[in-house]
Amino acid sequence: MSTESTPSGDSPLVEAPADTVAGEVVLRLTDVVKTFPGVRALDGVQLEVRAGEVHCLLGQNGAGKSTLIKVLAGVHRPDSGQVQWRGEPAHFANPQAAMRAGIATIYQELDLVEDLSVAENAFLGHEPKVAGFVRRGHMARRTREILSRLGHGEIPPGRMVRALPAAGKQVVSMARALSHEARLIIMDEPSAVLAHDEVDNLFRIIRELTAQGIAVIYISHRMEEIREIGDRVTVLKDGRTTAANLPARETPTRDLVARMTGRNIEYVFPDRPTAPAAAADLLRVEGLSRTGEFADVSLSVRPGEIVGIAGLVGSGRSELLETIYGARRAESGTVRMGGRPLRPGSVGAAVRAGMGMAPEERKSQALLLGEPIHRNVTLATFTRYARLGFTNAGRERAEAERIADELQLRPNDVRRAVRTLSGGNQQKVVVGRWLLGDTRLLLLDEPTRGVDVGARAELYRVIRGLAAQGVGVLLVSSEVPEVLGLADRVLVMREGRMVREAPAGELDENTVLDLVMAGSLMEGAPA
Amino acid sequence: MSESTGTATPDRPADLPAQSPPVDPAVTASLKEKPRAGGLSFWQGDGGEGAKRNLGLIGVLVVLVVIGAATRWDLYSNPDWVWGNTLTILKLASVVGVVTVGMTFVIIGGGIDLSVGAIVALAGVWATTLATQSYGAGGMIFTAIVVGTAVGVVNGVLISYGRLVAFIATLAMMVAARGLAAQISGKQTQVSNNSFINGIASTDVLGIPLLVYILAAVVAAGWVLLNRTTFGRRTVAVGGNPEAARLAGINVRRHTLLLYALSGLCCGIAAIMLTAQANSAQAAMANLYELDAIAAAIIGGTLLSGGRGTIVGSLLGVLIFSTITNLFAINGLSTEAQNMVKGGIIVGAVLIQQVQFRSVTQFFGRQKATTSG
Amino acid sequence: MTQPRDLSRRRMLFGSAAVGAGVLLAGCTSNESTPTAAQTKAADNSGGGNAAPGKKVTVGFSAPAADHGWIAAITNNAKAQAGAYSDVDFKTVEAGADAAAQRAALSTLVAQKPDVIVVLPHDGKELNAFGLEAMKAGIPVVNLDRAFPDALAYRLQISGDNYGMGVAAANYIVAQLKAKGVSAPIIGEIPGIDSLELTQQRSKGFADTLAAAGFKVANRRPAEFTADSGQQAATGLFQALPKIDAVWNHDDDQGIGVLAAVNQANRKEFFMVGGAGSKKAMEDIQADNTVLKATVTYSPSMASSAISLARLIAQGKGMSDLVELQVPKVIVLASETITKENASSYLKLGF
Repeated sequence: MSTESTPSGDSPLVEAPADTVAGEVVLRLTDVVKTFPGVRALDGVQLEVRAGEVHCLLGQNGAGKSTLIKVLAGVHRPDSGQVQWRGEPAHFANPQAAMRAGIATIYQELDLVEDLSVAENAFLGHEPKVAGFVRRGHMARRTREILSRLGHGEIPPGRMVRALPAAGKQVVSMARALSHEARLIIMDEPSAVLAHDEVDNLFRIIRELTAQGIAVIYISHRMEEIREIGDRVTVLKDGRTTAANLPARETPTRDLVARMTGRNIEYVFPDRPTAPAAAADLLRVEGLSRTGEFADVSLSVRPGEIVGIAGLVGSGRSELLETIYGARRAESGTVRMGGRPLRPGSVGAAVRAGMGMAPEERKSQALLLGEPIHRNVTLATFTRYARLGFTNAGRERAEAERIADELQLRPNDVRRAVRTLSGGNQQKVVVGRWLLGDTRLLLLDEPTRGVDVGARAELYRVIRGLAAQGVGVLLVSSEVPEVLGLADRVLVMREGRMVREAPAGELDENTVLDLVMAGSLMEGAPA
Repeated sequence: MSESTGTATPDRPADLPAQSPPVDPAVTASLKEKPRAGGLSFWQGDGGEGAKRNLGLIGVLVVLVVIGAATRWDLYSNPDWVWGNTLTILKLASVVGVVTVGMTFVIIGGGIDLSVGAIVALAGVWATTLATQSYGAGGMIFTAIVVGTAVGVVNGVLISYGRLVAFIATLAMMVAARGLAAQISGKQTQVSNNSFINGIASTDVLGIPLLVYILAAVVAAGWVLLNRTTFGRRTVAVGGNPEAARLAGINVRRHTLLLYALSGLCCGIAAIMLTAQANSAQAAMANLYELDAIAAAIIGGTLLSGGRGTIVGSLLGVLIFSTITNLFAINGLSTEAQNMVKGGIIVGAVLIQQVQFRSVTQFFGRQKATTSG
Repeated sequence: MTQPRDLSRRRMLFGSAAVGAGVLLAGCTSNESTPTAAQTKAADNSGGGNAAPGKKVTVGFSAPAADHGWIAAITNNAKAQAGAYSDVDFKTVEAGADAAAQRAALSTLVAQKPDVIVVLPHDGKELNAFGLEAMKAGIPVVNLDRAFPDALAYRLQISGDNYGMGVAAANYIVAQLKAKGVSAPIIGEIPGIDSLELTQQRSKGFADTLAAAGFKVANRRPAEFTADSGQQAATGLFQALPKIDAVWNHDDDQGIGVLAAVNQANRKEFFMVGGAGSKKAMEDIQADNTVLKATVTYSPSMASSAISLARLIAQGKGMSDLVELQVPKVIVLASETITKENASSYLKLGF
């Protein structure tokens, strides 16, 4: 067993000096915990937001940002921990309660009613009324006021929201927040749907809001935006706050990314076996492209080789994996298994050729949550055990139990519903599915996300073990140490293109981080 | 992983059949929460939960029979009458029961089939035209089954390859198939003059009506198909999580098509049974069978969003409805009151299931919080 | 793996079987039934009376799209009767699925300026306004069966007698039971769709007349005018009443199912009266080999009469047997009781 550590250090929570932001603290979260069956979504979150600041929330997919937003918006109630709102302990029973208290949330997929007017959307649920009748004139007037306060007096309050462009819809969402006299506005990746000049306009609006003393929680993956608009940054990873109240402009980008992706646990990797003998390519991908996702990607995997793809969210890595697997249809390029081209866009063909995939979203893409473990384990192979269309329950159960033992599944009762398992054990079920049958190439997309330490080590052991048996592995992970520790060869992907390929031994974490973040992410970062 | 509870799944190439409108996965997750107690019990084995729910349904049946006996003791005191009445209830349930078996598969597979009543009518009418009747009983049975299956295949193609929402595709088929049936029949009641066909409804074998054997055979075949074959496993997978099924290499579209074809086949069989019972067929026959079948499947514990359901539960659902109809008939009560009670039973059954899982999720949440918090 | 070849062969076999089945089935939709000619009144020229060709007139006609044999017979009869007159130009419009559709169809009919319009409305109340309008525009309206509430909305109203049907059925049953000397008979009733006013009128006539004789209905299981619903309603009735003396079934179409249920339950201890007067029911009564012993009419032949009278109205003639020079304003057909004795004379009116 060897351990590989990360260089980014394990500094405790960084508290910014109190004077960086002047306003009073409006929101304070202490040790907030929220669990769902099988997963601990929030595992001790600290957050402090002051009036008039733009507080950026950073974290990878799965870090707990969405759950946190929903706790603040009154959608979820925390299991433990404290939420203090304007000095008082707050319990928001429902979204309306949070709204009334002055917390407005603008979700990424805007929750507007497309076939109502701008004014009706702005005042949805709290229309000004007289004797049960909506005061339409008054509502339109108020909406116009709010829109001009947002610098968008040109949007007619009577226009159908459907007819507005994305940026206009976002303005309407903000108008709704202001119609509630919001003191805190949460924006979930507001720039994702906007063009460049529209982002400038968004920032202008945000500045106007904060000048009026309104606090903004701003969620984005784009570092340059955080630099431009943010005051302080809090970083989440695996449901925990890994850094709080960092100054948004001064903190080096590498520090931020390391806190998002880097370890807060020890990575324990099994010994790397001697380099696999040169053999014919098992998988050969050439010139694979999908517009807007990735372009001209070529790669290969040999039997027994683990190839890791490092890249951030949005680099096109998951889309690439799904395209190789046939779950998406390539626009150009070829995928060959053992020299034979695969029918594009056919998962069945890929599986028959010996591919298996553990997709990124376990619950929505891989598991039948209500079904027992053994049915999930045999989901891709039950047909093989069947005779004349009749399933062989005994054989299936036996195979599933063998896998459960091999992966040290806990609890080790294959009749349990998968939903009752922890995230790590659920992932073992997904990976275990492909240990059955004759899988020759395993595609793993973020195999250890939301997985606890023990299960991680077991998964690493299993992946290595598979490679030792000659199975090729193509691994996608945003955790750079994981890619470096597990893979024989590393491909770095950025903005849909492969930017570097090298044996794992020739790369260190800093080099990969720099490659991953190169370009826009590095801009504005102090050298 | 936690965020997957809140964020929508990323855009996929749209080659999945349109199933249900996008919903918050967190909501679906909680809806699919099964009643499950803390410790393991033998109920948690294969189909154990279904068995538990089915016991509840049998309890409802017993209550209905007790009410019947209490209100019409003059009838129930005669064992011959009770036996005859039981067979009558089974016969009453037989046609809808066969349709419900097909419907249960479609719903478990994540779909819905609103056209079943219309398919029964179309298959029945087509099988009783003078031209078809000239081929004899064999020709009539062949026609009903092929017509039913073919209409099901059309449904399936529209839904899985045409990517229409099942609700809309089968709603359209419901209207169109009745229209075609009216066209073929010239809006007349077509009398069946075939004594073999008519005999299906009046023949007893070993004291039990042939219709009951047919129902039993279809239910048994459905049970085996769902629980013992790869087809059944695919059905549960496709309905429970179509994306997971697809990524496990299952051909979701083809399977969806087959599910609707199966439903059509069941309708074809039911058409023969209903034609035999009524000695005739007409475009307006099997009126609202789709609602009876859906309601029976739902109170039988089939999840409307797919992925869970049992054949036995659906059969019990049908039996409960036909027992209620019988109960109201023997007491001479109006059908209005009967329909209100049926509505109440549907709501009650669903409410009980919801209350069960709500208390279980709460229990589960607390347990998590205390053990690891 | 030899599977792919196997599969494709299987597919081909299945494909050709499917095509074969399709061809076979397409031939199975024909229904050479022989309707209606019997229900018209031949244009008998020999008498030289009203049937003699007169002024050429245009008769417009509208009835709901039928999903039921009775309404189908109405349309067929109207067409056939019009065809029997050389001086009638018959214009019919499909009335669609509801009152609104029928209103639209009727306005296109009015635009063609017919001399008279015969209407079987979806709903008399809803189409009353149309009747008023057409009458105001000088087009006489013959209101068939479902009544316009407003007397100004029609020139002639011709309808069946729903209450009278119930009376006639009850009278027959009472007479039979009295003759047999049954003192406290068990009487069952199988009405049609229970929410319809016509069903309620029929049931009221039935109940009122039975009550006058000191009898009452023991159980009442409504059907839906279809054979399969009739079979189920009858099955329920038989379970509830282990012994029955008489049954009135409102509708001969659903009666096909009721008779099937009688066979299936093997119940022969009672006699049954039907309703409406279908050809099949009349044949069964004539053959006297089922429990069906009588039926009370509500005949679609009224459509034929309506066309004849519409023609007379347009030509300004009266009914030759009456003293008046014009056609009367209201005609209510008596519900007649068809039994084995008179079935042969009614058979041509069966639908």
